[in-house]
Amino acid sequence: MPQKKLSHDVILTIGYHFTRLAMAGVFIYASIDKIIHPDLFAEAVYNYQVLPGYLVNLTALILPWLELILGFCLLINRWMAGASALATGLMTLFVGLTLFNLARGLDISCGCFSAAPGENPITLLTLVRDISFLILSLGLARLVFVKNTSRQLI
Amino acid sequence: MTVSLRTGNHFTNTVRQTVFILLISVAIGAAVNLIRPDGIPFVETWSMADKLATENGDTMAIPLSEAAALFEKDAAVFLDARTQVEYDQGHIQGAVNLPWHEVDNYFETVIMTLDPEAMTITYCDGEACPLSHDLAMLLKDLGFTRVKVLVNGWTLWKEHDLPVTTQSS
Repeated sequence: MPQKKLSHDVILTIGYHFTRLAMAGVFIYASIDKIIHPDLFAEAVYNYQVLPGYLVNLTALILPWLELILGFCLLINRWMAGASALATGLMTLFVGLTLFNLARGLDISCGCFSAAPGENPITLLTLVRDISFLILSLGLARLVFVKNTSRQLI
Repeated sequence: MTVSLRTGNHFTNTVRQTVFILLISVAIGAAVNLIRPDGIPFVETWSMADKLATENGDTMAIPLSEAAALFEKDAAVFLDARTQVEYDQGHIQGAVNLPWHEVDNYFETVIMTLDPEAMTITYCDGEACPLSHDLAMLLKDLGFTRVKVLVNGWTLWKEHDLPVTTQSS
């Protein structure tokens, strides 16, 4: 039934572009404040207490650019296989860290969208939000896989 | 092209693009940090002990055992530098809330009522929480003579089952 197939493709295409643009927005927005304030973000990274001291600043310097560049790739629809895999990897990492710190009961700021310490403490809501982004990223990676491996382009 | 070939290509592309994106991020992150005037050192020792060292080599940090002993003797004022919400959820018994982020609003109601000569211990939560440290520095500037910081105070205090006041109690 070609008509049914067509509507299925349309839904996949819409889903693909929606998740792509949504995650692009999330990553680009998340990177800006951290790029502007590397010193504050370094403090936020240190507060997580998961990295050895010598890796704190390196992480604070590179992670925001990674978010910006992969967000940009998602935005312009280029290198989607790598960008969607990285987005999924990063969101898995963030969900893991949020869970870890919630379990430890550590009272630290998230450092997710703002670098400033003392703002946006990690709560259950942070976890729910991160899991939603992880689901979106996983969905996107799956759609990119379908797009690259199926005969029909979505 | 067969499905397995396309799948193989997809994974090769994924790995290659991931490595590219990572390398570009490292290069731009490092380059921008080198160029910008407010860049940070690439490697830095991160320890609260260094931050709390005073000019004459002393440290403002107070060990939990000493803080607990002062608490027992009622010989120190404990200042909770976290937000009022966090303070309301639970704090060291008898501690006074002085949220660092709204410290101006608490100037008359709290700071003016404190004795600058008294042993004053600030705390917040987390090994690297800067609130108690910042508050301690402000109090020193204001002329408080005996200010100490209980690093990671709230977590340590709870872990050692020392007296607390919580919302339910």
